[in-house]
Amino acid sequence: MSVELSKKGQVLTATGLAAGYDGRAIVSDIDIEATPGKVISIVGPNGSGKSTLLKSLVGVVRVLDGTVKVGDTVITNTPSEEVAKIGVGYVPQIDDVFPPLSVKENLEIGGYLLARHEIRGRIDAVLEFFPKLKAMMSRKAGKLSGGERKMLAMGRVLMLSPSVLVLDEPTANLAPIVATQLLEEYIRGFADFGSTVLLVEQRAKAALRISDWTYVLGGGRVVLDGAPDDLAQNPIFIESFLGGGAATHAPKD
Amino acid sequence: MSSLGFGLISAAVLAIATVGFTMQFAVTNVLNLAYGSIMINSAFVSYYVNQHGVTAWVALVGGVLTGAIASWLLNRFVYTPFQRRNLAPITVVIVSLGIDLMGTFGLQAIVGGGFVSFTQNQGSEYHFAGLLLSSLQLIIIGICAAVLVGVHGLLKYTRLGKAMRATSANRSLARNSGIKTNYIISTTWLISGALCGLAGTVFAMNAGVFEATSAQLYIVLLLAAMFLGGPGEPYGAMFGAITIGVATEVSAAYINPDYKDVIAFVVLIAMLMFRPFGIFGSEKTN
Amino acid sequence: MSSYGYYIAIILVYASVDAMACMGLNLEFGVAGISNFGYIIFQSAGAYAAAILSMPNAASSNGGFQKYVLGWHLPWPFPWIGAAIAGGLLALPFVFIVGKRLRGDFAAVGLLVSAVLLNVLVKNYVPFLNGDAGISLVPAPFQSHFNPQSLSYQFAYGAVAIILTIGVYFLVQRVTESPYGRSLRAMRDNDIVADSLGKDLRKQRTSILILGGMIAGLSGAILVEFITLWAPGAWGYAETIVLFAAIIIGGAGNHKGAILGAILVPVGFEEITRYLPPLGNPELVPALEWVSIGLLIVLFLWFRPDGILPERRRILSGNKNAPPPAPSAADDESDALIKIGDLQKLNFRELLRLGEPVNDHRVILSTNALTKTFNTVTVVSDVTIAIHQGKLTGMIGPNGAGKSTTLAMLAGTLPSTSGQIFYEGKDITSMSSDKRALAGIVRTFQLASEFKKLTVLENLVCAIPNQSGDTFFGSLRGKRYWGAEDRDNIERAKEVLEGFGLSQYADAYAGGLSGGQRRLVEIMRALLAEPKVLLLDEPMAGVHPNLAHKIGDQLTKLCEGGMTIVMVEHELSIMDAFCDPVIVLAEGRVLAQGTMSELRQKEEVVEAYLVG
Repeated sequence: MSVELSKKGQVLTATGLAAGYDGRAIVSDIDIEATPGKVISIVGPNGSGKSTLLKSLVGVVRVLDGTVKVGDTVITNTPSEEVAKIGVGYVPQIDDVFPPLSVKENLEIGGYLLARHEIRGRIDAVLEFFPKLKAMMSRKAGKLSGGERKMLAMGRVLMLSPSVLVLDEPTANLAPIVATQLLEEYIRGFADFGSTVLLVEQRAKAALRISDWTYVLGGGRVVLDGAPDDLAQNPIFIESFLGGGAATHAPKD
Repeated sequence: MSSLGFGLISAAVLAIATVGFTMQFAVTNVLNLAYGSIMINSAFVSYYVNQHGVTAWVALVGGVLTGAIASWLLNRFVYTPFQRRNLAPITVVIVSLGIDLMGTFGLQAIVGGGFVSFTQNQGSEYHFAGLLLSSLQLIIIGICAAVLVGVHGLLKYTRLGKAMRATSANRSLARNSGIKTNYIISTTWLISGALCGLAGTVFAMNAGVFEATSAQLYIVLLLAAMFLGGPGEPYGAMFGAITIGVATEVSAAYINPDYKDVIAFVVLIAMLMFRPFGIFGSEKTN
Repeated sequence: MSSYGYYIAIILVYASVDAMACMGLNLEFGVAGISNFGYIIFQSAGAYAAAILSMPNAASSNGGFQKYVLGWHLPWPFPWIGAAIAGGLLALPFVFIVGKRLRGDFAAVGLLVSAVLLNVLVKNYVPFLNGDAGISLVPAPFQSHFNPQSLSYQFAYGAVAIILTIGVYFLVQRVTESPYGRSLRAMRDNDIVADSLGKDLRKQRTSILILGGMIAGLSGAILVEFITLWAPGAWGYAETIVLFAAIIIGGAGNHKGAILGAILVPVGFEEITRYLPPLGNPELVPALEWVSIGLLIVLFLWFRPDGILPERRRILSGNKNAPPPAPSAADDESDALIKIGDLQKLNFRELLRLGEPVNDHRVILSTNALTKTFNTVTVVSDVTIAIHQGKLTGMIGPNGAGKSTTLAMLAGTLPSTSGQIFYEGKDITSMSSDKRALAGIVRTFQLASEFKKLTVLENLVCAIPNQSGDTFFGSLRGKRYWGAEDRDNIERAKEVLEGFGLSQYADAYAGGLSGGQRRLVEIMRALLAEPKVLLLDEPMAGVHPNLAHKIGDQLTKLCEGGMTIVMVEHELSIMDAFCDPVIVLAEGRVLAQGTMSELRQKEEVVEAYLVG
């Protein structure tokens, strides 16, 4: 792939992070680090606070304590439109496109912060990465299939050549084969280009396959982290999904 | 056939008004029932500028500015703070009714209850495709058509317009894309407010004579046009306005003109009962 | 002196009329949550009805200078009774607007527009009610026997008006404070949830619109026979806003507040402006009156949204003196550690009126090719499942798999696009959700769904089905009719509350509880609805695992006792411990079904959901 899809990655760190709604923490004591060229995944049972954690990193949910940094820039509680400007691209799990806008317009909105003359070039670059979208540029985003929609959602974020990609369960509700392709081809691909990828994934096994480092969340805290190969052997890891004590869950967001 | 001519003017004015109204609903989910009072206030500002020897067409700018500024203030200092409290939508609607009373009768307290009219020439009459229209009416239709084309261009082809549509579709995602949604919402209220001011002024010009409470029931036509096309849909609003505008005036030719607005009422109630998301709209997923 | 006397008599009549109208509107808006922006037309209907019932035939009287229908020349009190009936009848067509699940503000707009429409029609169609000029020379009651202009007559009129107003107060109070009133307030706070507990929203709204309309109609009759004329100008849509202002200022949901509001706003404004010297242009004073009303609405909604006399909190527990502990921040923090009481002590069989355990595990609830499509997106497709009686069936699947949608279709909250649902052998696909609830299918919701302005105890009691005071006519029969039964119900609810360890919150507003506590309230409430099939949508979210397991134990017991439970849940440990069988949904389809250990063996399940 010839075009440059993303800028050189930056380190994303969260230290001592607590975040939640209405002043009530859903996640707390979180220390994570995502580095360029790597896929860092966060797994954990539903309700363990994965989505809330991601949202707090990108300014959607309020950080109650701790610090979030991109490179040397502190982005704790920075409004999400500023976070986008700093180079963090966030793809939410649901409501990830603008349904009444066409595919082309969705991409243009993705490039909202770019100068007018840059947009066309970026769209071409994104289309080269997601060639399937080429054929449906004038279709409304609301009419796309699940997989196409997810590609558009990621394409929208790539418009700004982000240095950090934050993806919330990109494979949710996708057919297994599409999910595998998305993870192994595209998401792993981003990291291989040098960007930083932070991924929340429900398919833990698939996540481990493409990750360089994995954090396991339970009850709003990091209960475990490590390299995928080590984790796969770890009985606590299995335990935290299939039941037992540690994995309590917080209110769903 | 003359009724069709009247219908075209009503439709043109209504279209401008409804597009502004529906844009406000689209970005902030507020049924701004104070819209009619801002229309008539704008008309009176234009009228006073006009009384100071300025041509009505230039004075119109005063009305447009009034509408824009008043709407912006209303959203910034009333609707936004109320919405931050996460109240039921009905509370904000009741607030808007309160504002409507203040706007309409505050104006009446200042200007009194008398009828006024613009100092302006009706111009010569033209026969056009079987329609009889004065040049004043033709200019009104022209202005409205130009503005509608302008709104279309804005929404479809400009960065701002796309950002407005994106913000109305998904505010949180728009922010994630780097859009300053508060700025976009403010701008939307400025633009829709300008449309409101324009609509109020041309409404008053078209009516000939008007007073402080003249636009009080206009909100019903607006609502009918909006619900016909689907709430929050600018193109639906244009369609709805043209349908309602023409239908009311043409029906006036066949039934007692006093009942001409009844069609709008009936349409609105039927839409609310059977398709509250409009003729072309579709039910939203939860 | 006598001019003061007249003045006082006039004020008495006006105050009664406005207070009565405000109470009717308060019953609709403050209690039942119906934003009737067209309320004034009900008062007007009563006024016109009283006028044309009491006046002689239009052609024969007064030289026929006014045109109107009827003209039956009925003696008092028939015109007033007719007025109340007219107000009630007028409510019927509006049931089509408010009975549907239309956004509250959209329905309000529909009512507002209807009011304007009727005004336009009456104004322009002269033969009906004399058009814009209105009807005048309406006879006062017994005017052939007494002199209506005499002071004593006017005072007598005022006295009758006040007595009727007091009567109306007791009437609305009787309805509001009954179990039916509780259901109305539940509907006001969350209509979809009330529906899922078996409350017939259309019926409730209809009854209240009719009663409110009758009260408005009566108030119109009292007014018109006093002032002797009525015209479209007197009932513009803005008059409804005045009444709304009165209720918002007085205190929505509190009938004393409504009376206070009526005295402050419509009466007070009218009287104050009477004493203002003429200023500026003739429209100035009335215009400023309208401006003040608008301003008051906005200011009150901002600074004191509950009004001067806020709705009273109902203390059902009997501890009148003890103020309930307001849940503090500390409660929020310790939410995860909620202590549960001694559930073992609860005799659910008794409390929930369970029948003798029949545990033959026959199929009680099943679906055939159930499908749900939103626009073009299919969320649930071809789901065919069978739920066995007495089993705790789990439903799992990745996010977006269609679990909650399936549950909602089983409960009737969402209509299915195609396919059938069978319950106890009958096809219930088109049965409404409230009917299903009464038939024994009760659901809970994933998102917070407590009735916020009902106390915890009220939340529970209101779910109990078949209360004799929970019908419109039952509520009218008064406490003597339903009181004893209600006390029993409250005792039952208190026992359940005790078992779940939340007794200290019995009289606290449910909206003030922490997330975990609200969850428990919801589970208790669903149990008290006496379900045969209980559908739980993620009941354990936000609940501490120890507590979750205790609840799970109880659910198992209930199943042994014959209850059937379907539970959507993410927490696999819960599934492991309690659910058998477990249905796995993925992408809107049934992927597999079996015990958890069986499911773990299946490659496709592991692939879709588990760690694998």
